[in-house]
Amino acid sequence: MESRRGHELHLAGITQRFGDYVAVRDIDLKIGAGELVALLGPSGCGKSTLLRIISGFMPQTEGKVFFDGEAVDHLPPNKRGVGIVFQNYALFPHMTIRQNIAYGLEVQRVPAARLKTRVDEMLDLVHMGEFAERYPRQLSGGQQQRIALARCLAVDPKILLLDEPFGALDKNLRLDMQIEVKRLQREYGITTVLVTHDQEEALSMADRVAVMSRGRIEQIASPTDIYDRPETLFVNQFVGSTNVLPGIAGEMAGAGQQVTLACGERIALAEGSRLATGAQVQVSIRPEHLTLQTAPLDNAITGVIKAVMPLGPQVLYDIAVGDGTDIKVSVPRKRGDEFLLSGTRIFAAPVPPAGYRAFPV
Amino acid sequence: MSDPRARPDWEAVSLRLVFGLLAAVALIFLVAPTLVILITSFTDSESLRFPPTGFSLRWYEALLDADQMQRAAWNSLQIAVCTTLLCVLLGTPASIAMARSRHPWIRACDVLFMSPLLLPALAFGFAGLIFVNQMGFRPSVTFLVLGHTIVCVPFVLRTTIAAMTQLDPALLDASRSLGASEWTTFRRVTLPLIAKGIAAGAFLAFMASFDNVPVSLFLADERTEVLPIHLWQQIESNLDVRTAAASGVIVMLTLGLMIIAERTAGLTRQMR
Repeated sequence: MESRRGHELHLAGITQRFGDYVAVRDIDLKIGAGELVALLGPSGCGKSTLLRIISGFMPQTEGKVFFDGEAVDHLPPNKRGVGIVFQNYALFPHMTIRQNIAYGLEVQRVPAARLKTRVDEMLDLVHMGEFAERYPRQLSGGQQQRIALARCLAVDPKILLLDEPFGALDKNLRLDMQIEVKRLQREYGITTVLVTHDQEEALSMADRVAVMSRGRIEQIASPTDIYDRPETLFVNQFVGSTNVLPGIAGEMAGAGQQVTLACGERIALAEGSRLATGAQVQVSIRPEHLTLQTAPLDNAITGVIKAVMPLGPQVLYDIAVGDGTDIKVSVPRKRGDEFLLSGTRIFAAPVPPAGYRAFPV
Repeated sequence: MSDPRARPDWEAVSLRLVFGLLAAVALIFLVAPTLVILITSFTDSESLRFPPTGFSLRWYEALLDADQMQRAAWNSLQIAVCTTLLCVLLGTPASIAMARSRHPWIRACDVLFMSPLLLPALAFGFAGLIFVNQMGFRPSVTFLVLGHTIVCVPFVLRTTIAAMTQLDPALLDASRSLGASEWTTFRRVTLPLIAKGIAAGAFLAFMASFDNVPVSLFLADERTEVLPIHLWQQIESNLDVRTAAASGVIVMLTLGLMIIAERTAGLTRQMR
């Protein structure tokens, strides 16, 4: 068996224009050997364009793609060694499962004896041996996905691209397949790029997540950092949900900077904020990072409960604060807990170590 | 669907009645003439009369000695085969290119290639004759095949383009990313998946060439007589009952071919 050491992928200054439209703007991205990086963003953010550039189907307008430090821009898709698992799996409908997996080996002229052992090996790997002689249409979505992955890994690609691979699966199966794919990716140590618009998929699978918007990478960081320490308001709003309150930055006070919110409150930001005094800012705090209490709290926003929504494991409170804006607060629920009632005047403050984050407008 | 015990929905019933009647009328007009000629061909009398006075196979036997008619049929068959081959060889690559491109001039080409279906074939045949003469040639089998190809290629184009649009482009990307060249991808993925579309088009092109009259009328040379024109002349000159028998043979052969095409290529599915 070939070496299972992953390969390094480096995108250097990639720009893609379609006429006047810039689909991808000056992307720099280094992905380590064996790492799984998710490109996360809404449709039209340029993630699929990047995928086509990496795989060689679309020549980029500017910039270079390196595998292990070597430029691969001159290599057509069939010479690049990039395996792709497509959203609809793209299994060849006129071939059996065995023929599908063997296809890549055949076109690369692998000798028959080795081809057969390799195909059997791949069938075992995805636990699909008994389905070898069936046709793709006789398989369920999850089974088809396993075959697509096996077909891809059979030719030992340098880089694996997963293009919205779980979108067509129902929710329970999706989680199982995510675990399965993650296991195979680990086992193979193959450098992987996952393209998705589903934040849960990105956060659960990736070593690092690159959040993209309008052709740029807004932030690239570990899933925890993306969620807990978003660097832009876009990242904050796209990954998870958050309350956004407009305000004006004030003086530094102790560790955090003061902000006067449009609703009248004055709060202190989490440590590390450095915004120009007097600047217009958007203050963000996630619903689950707030705690509620009827007695006064430090650094709190006051409001009146407008609605109480029990969502099973959490209770979501909709709270009216000052100037007619609403915030949402999500409180974990234990059995027997009493809800706060609509109309109650309450104090909502961040639970340490969370804090208010502010982004310049 | 609706509960059978529920009150009849008169609107639906009358709709079904009207469409059913229309379909029945259409079916009768389509099938009846073919049946009439089939029945007539088994007559035992000397004249084309319906209903026939008695049953015999004498006119089918007579076909065995009809040298001129056989020669015409053989000509038609050769021309149809050549035409079909040319249509497939030219039509398939053209369809693939047209199905993949959204370029405006490709759309224009599409309309241009399809125009023989819309233009009166008689006008095209006449124009073809003048064109051939202008170039300093005489009508010949070569030009006849070329003329047939132009009017028959739309069938291959339509069915192949339809098959191409059904083809998921991700399959081609998958093949390429697995290491296959464009040619290998075409041979092992594209072609097998559009083969039924091509076959359906080839069948239609073959039939269209085989019974083409207007183009053959102008572009055939004096020595090359094709079957439909020969049959027409026989009817015109002496109401030959053998023409009915020949028609019978054609109808039955066509029926056989259609059954084979439907079984293997799913002909009607390809035309949807």
